[in-house]
Amino acid sequence: MLAIAIEERLVYRGDFALGTLMRFLPIVTQVFLWTAVFSATSRGDIAGYSRNDIVAYYLLTMLSRAFSSMPGLAGGIARSIRDGSIKKFLVQPVDYVAFLLATRVAHKLVYYVVAAIPFAVVFFLCRGFFPPAPDAATVAAFLLSLVLSFLLGFFMEATLGMLGFWFMEVSSIVFGYMLVQYLLSGHMFPIDMLAGIPSGLPGTTLADVVTWLPFQFTAFFPAAVWLGKVQGGELVRLLVLEVAWVVVMVVACRVAWARGTRRYSGFGG
Amino acid sequence: MIRYLSILGTFVRACLVRDMTFRANFLLECLTSLGWMSMNLAFYLLIFTFTPEIGRGTGWTREPFFAFVATGLIINSIVQALFMPSAEELTEMVRTGGLDAVLVKPLDAQFLLSLHRFDFSALANGIVGLVLLAWAVSRFDAPPPPVAWAVYPLLILCGVAILYALVIMLAAATILMGRNQSLYDFWFYLTNFSRYPAEIYAGPWGGPLRALCTFVIPILLVVNVPARVIAQPFSSEIWGPVAGMVGAALAALAVSRIVFQRSLARYRSASS
Amino acid sequence: MVFAYNSSMHNADAAASDAAPVIRVAGLAKEYRVYDKPEGLMASVRSLFHRESRLVEALRGVALTVERGEFVALLGPNGAGKTTLLKLLSGIITPSRGTATVLGHVPWERADDFRRRFALVMGQRNQLWWDLPAAESFRLHQEIYRIDPAQFARTRDELVDLLGVRKLILQPVRELSLGERMKLELVAALLHEPEVLFLDEPTIGLDVVAQHTIHTFLRHVQTQRQMTVILTTHYMKDVAALCERLVVITGGEILYDGSLAEVVDRFTTHKIVTLDFDEEPDRAAVERLGFPCEVRGPRVILRIDRTRIADALPPLLRGEGVRDVSVEDVPLEEIVAELFRAGAARPPRVTEVVP
Repeated sequence: MLAIAIEERLVYRGDFALGTLMRFLPIVTQVFLWTAVFSATSRGDIAGYSRNDIVAYYLLTMLSRAFSSMPGLAGGIARSIRDGSIKKFLVQPVDYVAFLLATRVAHKLVYYVVAAIPFAVVFFLCRGFFPPAPDAATVAAFLLSLVLSFLLGFFMEATLGMLGFWFMEVSSIVFGYMLVQYLLSGHMFPIDMLAGIPSGLPGTTLADVVTWLPFQFTAFFPAAVWLGKVQGGELVRLLVLEVAWVVVMVVACRVAWARGTRRYSGFGG
Repeated sequence: MIRYLSILGTFVRACLVRDMTFRANFLLECLTSLGWMSMNLAFYLLIFTFTPEIGRGTGWTREPFFAFVATGLIINSIVQALFMPSAEELTEMVRTGGLDAVLVKPLDAQFLLSLHRFDFSALANGIVGLVLLAWAVSRFDAPPPPVAWAVYPLLILCGVAILYALVIMLAAATILMGRNQSLYDFWFYLTNFSRYPAEIYAGPWGGPLRALCTFVIPILLVVNVPARVIAQPFSSEIWGPVAGMVGAALAALAVSRIVFQRSLARYRSASS
Repeated sequence: MVFAYNSSMHNADAAASDAAPVIRVAGLAKEYRVYDKPEGLMASVRSLFHRESRLVEALRGVALTVERGEFVALLGPNGAGKTTLLKLLSGIITPSRGTATVLGHVPWERADDFRRRFALVMGQRNQLWWDLPAAESFRLHQEIYRIDPAQFARTRDELVDLLGVRKLILQPVRELSLGERMKLELVAALLHEPEVLFLDEPTIGLDVVAQHTIHTFLRHVQTQRQMTVILTTHYMKDVAALCERLVVITGGEILYDGSLAEVVDRFTTHKIVTLDFDEEPDRAAVERLGFPCEVRGPRVILRIDRTRIADALPPLLRGEGVRDVSVEDVPLEEIVAELFRAGAARPPRVTEVVP
């Protein structure tokens, strides 16, 4: 089955290779932008990031987002609730969430296998921007954070999808989520950069507040781990926080499913 | 010809009617584009807490930079509203054979294929762009001279024309290849290069890239020239780029039309 | 193998304006290069570097002449080239070789003057604007074809009433059924009173009632306006209901071009004789008659050579227990299907090309 999936991808060979490489293009623009930003200041770094750090950061967030992004998950769940195709999961002894998770894992694996080459090429060409490779413990933490970001991304979107049991149009909610993600996940800029901005609460900065939220784990956190921006006790604390968030979202998803299906069946659907 | 205007009017009317029927959806679309835009504005504000200028000595300090962004919003919203929806539908039309129906009508195919469907919710960004422009200009040390204001709308039009020509070229490619390429994705990647002032493309890689995007695919002219006219101190040096942009717009329109006609001549049509 | 057909349908107007044929096709050919989709993992990898292609000959040097006011059926199996021919004649695609003129114009030059004088309707493909009600599409047609407003209103009302679709024209097109949509397409196509009408499988997917309505409509409108009509189809029903001239096309070539009546004479060698007995006859006895036969209960179906019918019939009629007899031509469907098969059986002329 893996072979067939790969084969299907290869048939659209031109499209695929090009598409994957094209996703790196916006980073090119960002890199030029940051270079220009740096050249106009006299600082050597911004919030602890040198210009090269920022390039490495963006490349790493491409990687972490490849793990945590779940295109179509929430929408798909909402749609199957709307058109009733979810009913078969109410009747069959198949766990819907487990099923979705399994299919996502399969999709991701295929994607990684086929995207590995374009990714490897880009990272190799840009190896000059990266600081020296971190130690084994950091690498282990990095890999752990990637796996956790996959789970977190999955359960956050799955829970959102479950809202389809209560709301007709989930797309607006999903859109809001996407917007917040865009801003607070580290997709656009490292969260550390918010350290200079005071938040509403006394004695804290925006960065402090945002690091308690789950969004940073889908893009910022793994990159920060690799680059050594979070270390030691801080690293452990954040890993624990990430695990906590995963647990919270798993529970939320389960609860939403239980309550939602009960409500759904009540309508004689 | 008046006939074309009248037909255009019918399309616009039909689209407006549909938008007003699905009013909630329309408002949602407006909010969607505004949402993305505000995230980006927040990002730019953040950048300016770290640096006073984008690129040393380029003149793109905060207010001029926001005038640049505003110009980009205005131009892109026009293209997004008027031309993109029809272009996006083209892939579908080629696939289902709807293009055949267009070729059979005694009407210019390019006109029909680029102007039959619109997305007026995209204009929301343009309106915000106007507001942003007003705000930024009000905070300039010296307001732009009247001649700058006179030239600015013309250059906006040229920017729209250049982007339109690019849309047509992509449409021609779609017709020739008939594949399911997502026009929208490609468009995003292409126009992404023009989001910031051209001065950021400096250095051994940036220089050639800038030249490529100025002289070969004039994507960098689109926002840079009008933005510079309005946001940078006006000097006679600007007339060169202005003339260049007008010339580029005309050339782009001509070239894209030729390419489009050629692609129609080679049209394969979906199998029966 | 090609029979030219001399039309006897010129009317006074046509003779006066131009005696030249409306459609003239010579040596028209169209080839496509088709790239093979790779099967299997290894082939897919190989396809990254090198693709195999074939040259498909959709149309192989076709010749045709159609006079004003003729109603011609283009009959052929799928992939025969009939839609390709229609697309060439309406200017949608350009040919690889050969010439064609329609109403004096070269179709693929797509002159506005030409496009204003013909109409194309394709079955199952929507040409009306999907989101607009049909009435809006009609109005758009009026602007596009520059139809005089008063004339437009008259024509529209007449067509709409003929097809009985007045109630439907204010509904958005996407809410209508296939049959209703096809009727509206026909109205739209005829609003500008074209001289030539191309129909590509217009009744495909429609129910019997809709087919019948459309047949009646087309017959009426065609005679009334003296339109030249070319209709492609693979249904004999369309052909029998509408046309006198039949062009059979398979494998990109014209196999037959002549009247319907002649098809039977030309391509059949026997007639079908059906004998109904009081009770089931003795099989051996039937077979001893010496004709190819089929026994279905009390009914026996024989195929008897046409030249021998006069001799063969009397003894059969005098046979024991014969209750009824009928003598018929081989059904048209069968003749045509046989023609299709004969065409398909010819050695294919597809060239394998490896770049």
